[in-house]
Amino acid sequence: MSTTKTPQVNEVNEFLEIASDFEDPLEVIRESLSNSYDAGATEVEITIRDRPIGSEIVIEDDGDGMDYADLESFFDLGNSTKRDPSSDAIGYKGHGTKIFYKSEEVLVNTSKEGTNLRAQMEQPWEKLNNRVMPEYEVRERSVKEGNNGTHIRITGFKSGRGFSPSSLTYNKIEHYLKWKTLAGSTAHYFTDDYHEMDIYITLGDEIDDTQETLKLDNKLEFPDEQIEPGEGKFPESRMCKHYPPRELTVETDDGDTAIIEVVGMIGGKDARNELPTYGKHSAQFGIWLAKDYIKVERVNEVISHDNEFLHFFFVANCQDIELSANREKIRNKSSSIYQAIKEELSHYLSKIASDPWFKDYLNQRRKAKLSRRAESQQSSVEDREKRILDREQFTPSNDAEVVLGLERSNREGALPKIVVEDYDPSVEVNALVKQDDSLYASSIHHKLTDHFEADKPLESVDKIICWSYGDPDQLSELERHGYHGGDITFDLNTGRIEYQNGRKHNIHIVSVEQRFQ
Amino acid sequence: MGFKQKQHDNNGFEIANQAGAARTGTLQVGDTELKTPNLFPVVNFYAGGTSSSLYGGGIHRTMKEFMNGDEVINGGDYSEYFDGVMTSVASLTDYGITKERYEEYIDTPIKERDLFDFDGVLFIDSGGFKFLGDKTLDGSDFEVDVDQRTIIEIQRKLGADLVLNLDRPIEPDDDYETRIQKARMTAQNVDQFLELTDRQKQTRYLTLHGYNYSMLNTFLTEIEKVIGKNRVHREFDGVALGSLVPLKDNKGKLITAVSDCREVLDDWGFDDLPLHVLGISSSAIPLLAAVGADTFDSSSYLHAAINGKYHTSLYNTEPLDDVDFSNCDCPVCSDDKLVNWMEGDAEYQKDKLGAVSMHNLIIQKEEISRVREAISKSGTDGLIEYFEQSLSRHKSMQQHAHRVVNDSLGGYF
Repeated sequence: MSTTKTPQVNEVNEFLEIASDFEDPLEVIRESLSNSYDAGATEVEITIRDRPIGSEIVIEDDGDGMDYADLESFFDLGNSTKRDPSSDAIGYKGHGTKIFYKSEEVLVNTSKEGTNLRAQMEQPWEKLNNRVMPEYEVRERSVKEGNNGTHIRITGFKSGRGFSPSSLTYNKIEHYLKWKTLAGSTAHYFTDDYHEMDIYITLGDEIDDTQETLKLDNKLEFPDEQIEPGEGKFPESRMCKHYPPRELTVETDDGDTAIIEVVGMIGGKDARNELPTYGKHSAQFGIWLAKDYIKVERVNEVISHDNEFLHFFFVANCQDIELSANREKIRNKSSSIYQAIKEELSHYLSKIASDPWFKDYLNQRRKAKLSRRAESQQSSVEDREKRILDREQFTPSNDAEVVLGLERSNREGALPKIVVEDYDPSVEVNALVKQDDSLYASSIHHKLTDHFEADKPLESVDKIICWSYGDPDQLSELERHGYHGGDITFDLNTGRIEYQNGRKHNIHIVSVEQRFQ
Repeated sequence: MGFKQKQHDNNGFEIANQAGAARTGTLQVGDTELKTPNLFPVVNFYAGGTSSSLYGGGIHRTMKEFMNGDEVINGGDYSEYFDGVMTSVASLTDYGITKERYEEYIDTPIKERDLFDFDGVLFIDSGGFKFLGDKTLDGSDFEVDVDQRTIIEIQRKLGADLVLNLDRPIEPDDDYETRIQKARMTAQNVDQFLELTDRQKQTRYLTLHGYNYSMLNTFLTEIEKVIGKNRVHREFDGVALGSLVPLKDNKGKLITAVSDCREVLDDWGFDDLPLHVLGISSSAIPLLAAVGADTFDSSSYLHAAINGKYHTSLYNTEPLDDVDFSNCDCPVCSDDKLVNWMEGDAEYQKDKLGAVSMHNLIIQKEEISRVREAISKSGTDGLIEYFEQSLSRHKSMQQHAHRVVNDSLGGYF
C-alpha cells in the first residue's frame, strides 16, 4: 500500500521567518519605493515621525493604486502580481512587503479606478509571535476617477536592533537611498524611456530639524567629469572620469548567456565626496553588482589586486543574479553564470585599469604624495635649522654625531688627538681610533651608559668614547652590582674604568663634551 | 651564381593599411611578394644529411617533405605556408658537417636545387648571435674563420633573397661601454657588408640592437658615425631588430623594444622601411605587430612539436596525447595518414612530430593572416576587436593586450 502526501507549510512560521529576514527599518522605505515605482508613481512622499506611542512611517504615492487582488498580494506571502521576472518590475517573490508585519499597525489606503480600499491590520507582529495569523479588515468606498494612489502608514515598527527614529538624519537617509534603493538606480543610462520618480523625505523636527524635506530622484548621477588635474597640493583629488554605459555579453561554458549593464566612474577623494556618502568610504566604493539596477553586493575582487578599489565606483547590473528574500545578498553565487559574470567584469575592469587616463590620475596622486614628502622633509630641515640656531654649542643627538664632535674637538686643539680611522655602526666594537700612532678598539656612544644598556662586553674594548656619561646613578648601580659577573669601578675624574672579571682590564673613557671645555 | 635581380626601384615595401602603429603591406623580394605582417618559419635546409635525404634527418626532413609536397606525406600543396623562410648561416654548424659536405652543400643555391620545390623568399640570417663567442664555423674536420666577408659569401652561395649584415647582438646585462663596443663592431661589419653587396641585386636589412629608444638611438648613431649619414639612410631595404630572444618571456619588454624601435626609425626618417623582429614568435606576434613590427621569424612551431605540444591557437598548446585531431580542419589534421602519424602510428618519430610541427606552423601562419585582416579593416576597431577576442582573454596576456590597445590603437575609452 502506498500513500501520497503533500508537504505542509506552517503559514504563521513562514510569515515570521520572512519578516524576520528584514532587520533595518530603512528597508521599509526601500520596499515602499520599489512598490511605488512598480505602480507607476511619479512622486513618492515618505514621512517619518517619532511619536510618544512609537515610530510612524507614512508612504504616499501617486501610482496606480491597488484593487482587491493587489491588496491581497500586498498582504499575502509569495503571491506577487509581478510574476514576470523579465519585466522591469522590482522583485517578484512577494516577500518584500512582509517587512510591514513587524509593526503594531499597518494601514493601507489606496484608490484605483474609482474605488478606494482601506485595509487595517492591527498588532501583526504580536499576533505572529503568538502563533496567530493576523487579519486585516478592508473597507471599500467610491472615489472620483483619476484620484489614484496609495497611502501606507506603519506604526510602531519593530527592528531586531530596536528602531529608533531619533537615530536617523537626512544625511543618513540620503546615503541609504542612493546606495541601497532605486533612488540610486542606474537604469536611466540604459533606456531612453526611463520612468522617472521624485522622492520626498520628511523627518519630523523631533528627529532632524536641519531641513524641511529632502528631495531626491531615482537616478544615480556621477560627479561632473574633470579629466585634467587641478591646482594645489592634491591635483588629483577632484579628477573624475566617467566610463559610459556598456552592455557586456556573458556566456558560460554550457551555453547560458546573460547581459551585464555596467556604468561607472573613477575619481579622486573630492570627486567621490560629491556622491551622497555616509560613514566609511571603504564600505561604499568599488564594484557593485546590481539587480533591477539597484546595488546589492560588491565584487571588488574583480579589480586586480594592484589597484585600490577605492578609486572605482562601478555598478554592474545583471538580471540573472538572484537575491535573497531581503535583497541583501546574492543567492546564486555558486552558479556558473555568476562565475561568468565575475570573469567578464574582471576583464572589463582590467581595461578600465589600463586606461592611460587612470594611469595619469595615479601618477598625479604619486606626485602629490612626493610633494607632501618633500614638504615634510623641508619642514624637518627647518625644525633642525632652528634647533641649531637656538643652541649655544654643538650637541650631538646620536652616535654618528659623537664621531663628528670628536673630529671637531681635534680641529679645535683638544688633546690627546684621537682620530676615528674606521667606523662601522653595525658591529659591537664600532670604531677603531688612532691615538699617538696606536690603534684602539673603541665603542662610541652618545652616552657612556648606552654601552651598558646595550649589554656589550668590556673585555675587547680599549676606549669608550661618548658625548657625556649619562645618569651617574646608573653607573653607581653598576659599581654596586657588578657587570657581567665582574667588578667594575668608574673614575670619572681620570676618565678610567677598571673592570675585573678574572683578568683586570682598564678602559679609557673619552668624554667628547669635556674636550670642548 | 648570384643574387636575383631586383624588379623594383624603391625599397620594395608598400604599406597598404594602417591601424595605429600597426600596418599591412607588401614586401617585394625578387619576384616574390610577401604580405605583411608575416612569419618566416625557421627551416634548417642542412640538417646533417645528404642530398638524397633532403639534407637532413629528423623532424627537419619531414618539414622539407611538406615544403616539397612529397608523396611520403601524401602529397598536398603546403607552399602557401612557405612563402618566406628563414635559415641561418650558423645552422650549418648544428651538425658535424665535413669539409667535403660543406663545400658540396654551399655549391648550389638552395632554390636552384632540384630536390627543393621552394620558391618563397629565402631569408638567411648572418648568425651573429651564434658567432658572438666563437668566431669560427666549426666543421668536423675543418674550421672557417667567420667575418663579414665569409658570411656574405655563404649567404650568396646559398642564394639568399634577403640578407643581413653580421651583427654583434647585445645582452640584457651589457653595460653602456659594452653596447657601444658591439655597435662599433657591427658598424664595421655594416660598412663591409655594403661594399660586398649590391642593392640592385640584393634585399639588404640592417641589424639594430637595443631594448629601448635610447639604446637603439645610440646603436644607430654609432653605425651612422662609421658608414656616414648618406649611406645609413639610402642603402637599406629594411631593419632587423635583434637581441630580443633573452627577453622572449617578458612581453612588456618586447613591446617596449619594438615600439621604441619603430619610434627611432620614424624619427630617423626610416618610417617606410619594414621592421623585422629576429627570433620572436607565438603570442608576442600580434602584440608586436600592433606596435609596428612587419615580419618575424621563429622555430617555435618546431620546438613545440619536439616537446610534444600541439598548437590549438597561437597562444595555446595541448599535450599531443590529449589532442582530438577532428577539431582542426587544417590540411595536416584532415589527412588520415598524417593524423595516424600524429597519433603515434608512424615508423619514425620524425614523422609523428614532423606532422605536428607542420600543423603548428599552419596555425601560426593562419593566425598571422587573421592579424593582417584585422589591421586591414578600416580604423583601429578591427585590431582592437581581435585583441578583445584573443589575447585579452588570457590572464597572463591581458595587460599586454590592453597596453598595445591603449598605446597604439587609441584605447578603449
